[in-house]
Amino acid sequence: MSALGQSLAGRRVAVCVGAGGVGKTSLAAALALARALAGGKALVCTIDPARRLANALGLTALGNAESRVPAARLAQAGLAPPGQLFAMMLDVKRTWDDLIVRHAPDPARRDRILRNRLYQQMSAALAGSQEYMAMEKLHELAEDRDYDLIVLDTPPTAHALDFLDAPTRILDFLGSDAARVLLAPAVGVGRLGLRLAQLSGGYAARALARFTGQQALSDLGEFLQSFQGMYDGFKARAAAVRALLARPEAGFVLVTSSSPAAVAETLAFHGRLRAEAMPLAGLVVNRLTPDLWPYPSPLPGAAELLPPLAQAATSGGGPGTSRAALAERLAAALAEHQALVWAERSALAPLLEEVRVPCAMVPRLEGEVHDLAGLATLAAAL
Amino acid sequence: MAPPTLLDRHLVFVTGKGGAGKSTVTAALALLASRAGKRVLACEVNAPQERLAPLLRAPAGEGLREARPGLHVLDVRPRAAMREYGLKVLRFQAVYHAVFENRLMQYFLRAIPSLSELVVLGKILHEARSLEPGGRPRWDLVLVDAPATGHALQLLRVPSALLDTLPGGPVRRDAEWMARMLVDPVRTAVAIVTLPEELPVNEAIELDAEVGGVLGMARAALFVNAVPTSRSSPEEARALSALAAAPPPLGPAARAAALAATRAERAGRQLARACDAIDAPATVLPLLPTAGWGPPEIEALAGAIAEGWARGEGG
Repeated sequence: MSALGQSLAGRRVAVCVGAGGVGKTSLAAALALARALAGGKALVCTIDPARRLANALGLTALGNAESRVPAARLAQAGLAPPGQLFAMMLDVKRTWDDLIVRHAPDPARRDRILRNRLYQQMSAALAGSQEYMAMEKLHELAEDRDYDLIVLDTPPTAHALDFLDAPTRILDFLGSDAARVLLAPAVGVGRLGLRLAQLSGGYAARALARFTGQQALSDLGEFLQSFQGMYDGFKARAAAVRALLARPEAGFVLVTSSSPAAVAETLAFHGRLRAEAMPLAGLVVNRLTPDLWPYPSPLPGAAELLPPLAQAATSGGGPGTSRAALAERLAAALAEHQALVWAERSALAPLLEEVRVPCAMVPRLEGEVHDLAGLATLAAAL
Repeated sequence: MAPPTLLDRHLVFVTGKGGAGKSTVTAALALLASRAGKRVLACEVNAPQERLAPLLRAPAGEGLREARPGLHVLDVRPRAAMREYGLKVLRFQAVYHAVFENRLMQYFLRAIPSLSELVVLGKILHEARSLEPGGRPRWDLVLVDAPATGHALQLLRVPSALLDTLPGGPVRRDAEWMARMLVDPVRTAVAIVTLPEELPVNEAIELDAEVGGVLGMARAALFVNAVPTSRSSPEEARALSALAAAPPPLGPAARAAALAATRAERAGRQLARACDAIDAPATVLPLLPTAGWGPPEIEALAGAIAEGWARGEGG
């Protein structure tokens, strides 16, 4: 078993993080498939809005619930895993609604929140909402189900690990005593204005209302008031998720490609994870160009390559091609290929120097990666 | 009248899947426009690490910076944009401080959905319509290195979302002019960057449909980036793969040539799919092997875009 495989074998939760466009979703699915192939019951959960996992797993509709990838479908791809593979796609809005339903003390309160305009906006669109709900769902899956491994695919965030902050940030707001006290009597617009006025010396309330419109403030007041009493349940859960992530049975998997921008982002992710003392399970470098030059010495120049190529390449060219022209094409193709290899290696050097964890180097697959057979090839490379 | 070409617009949002090369294409376009004599502002949005400034040789730092005569860069940050916007709406510094620098008020502002996106977009659109004292536009072209697909759509949807949410107030009034400006096909357009691979092309096609349908914005260009080329015909590549096991240098060279041919062939299929599905002039950019992007690589990319346009592609 590979070093990364060993590192993951002892874990129940793997969170894949990485820049956009590095193949994170496919790799997350491949990690889950690998566990199923090793006899485990594995789930991959994605929150990516592009529904890429659905493509990869050949599932047309992934709801907010897990569904098993049918054995027949796996068999079509030549796979007969002794374990089971499940997949799901997170529905952010529905996860929020479930959470409200679970924590609301009574149906009236529940309905008031679900109907609130601000809540509807927030649950669908607030920055960090997606990340928060991913954590929430992860907690539910890890606590209530019996998967051997849950792989969470995270959205490509521009800002390193938004999902570590998002729950705190959102809860900070929902639970802010100050905000609640301030808005407690906020059902009537006039009284809200009064409280705000007391706070900031008169003009602040008018100024704020001028900025947002009076209605938005009233919505906010109602929303925060409805939330009263539910906050502690939310907060306890957010703390539990964080604790779950910090346990050794969980681990982050950094996924990168060799593009300079992805490497820079991965280094930033890594720094952040270390600062937060989060367990790191491994690093996957995806889509590497294979090194074709078998010697440690650098590729010789064209002048040196051309004579042996011209001599050897007797059967390669089509009819009517001159041997010299073929040799030139071959030399150029090899030089261009190795230039890519060199560029990737140089781009990766600082990352491999800095991140000392079990690492899998996955070559660029020349076939389709986005079907089950492709995922199996990926899984084997891991 | 023929629609304006990409760089004739006043405001262009460059977006696409993460990793497709939005920043580098934005930087190269900024360079080309500035060389064509335009006064250009190249913006990025709250970048964790600034990318445009180093690519265009602008000094590091904050705020508006000159990269070369006629070309400025700006990283639009929510906090600074919020401050600027707040000052504009509230008019007085003292009021701004009382309202915005108040810790409690920060909670409210954070809770108003999409307010930070609104002020970021507002800052960009404000630049795009700002005038010099003499009355001519301050910039001929504002280029935006926008976030990746999902977040870019979220950003561009903010004015219309706010029109649905806010019954009145200055924010609503601002959302109104912003929404109008975004859908003006003469002034404003989106440029899509993609890679010639299956999923990025899928995402580009979906993005194109959303931009044109839901947002109602013009799409002025498609850039298919990092397209590999091959020197061998498919027949030659097949013959060469039979030589892959030969001793070096022939074996490795034959494998390299065969791989390049396979890759170019697959990329060609995806390229064709993107061009068929997306109704915007396409420009094909070559795969440039590089261990890091800097001004010389941007020069090379700008050269490739100019060559493509000279061949009659896109633009």
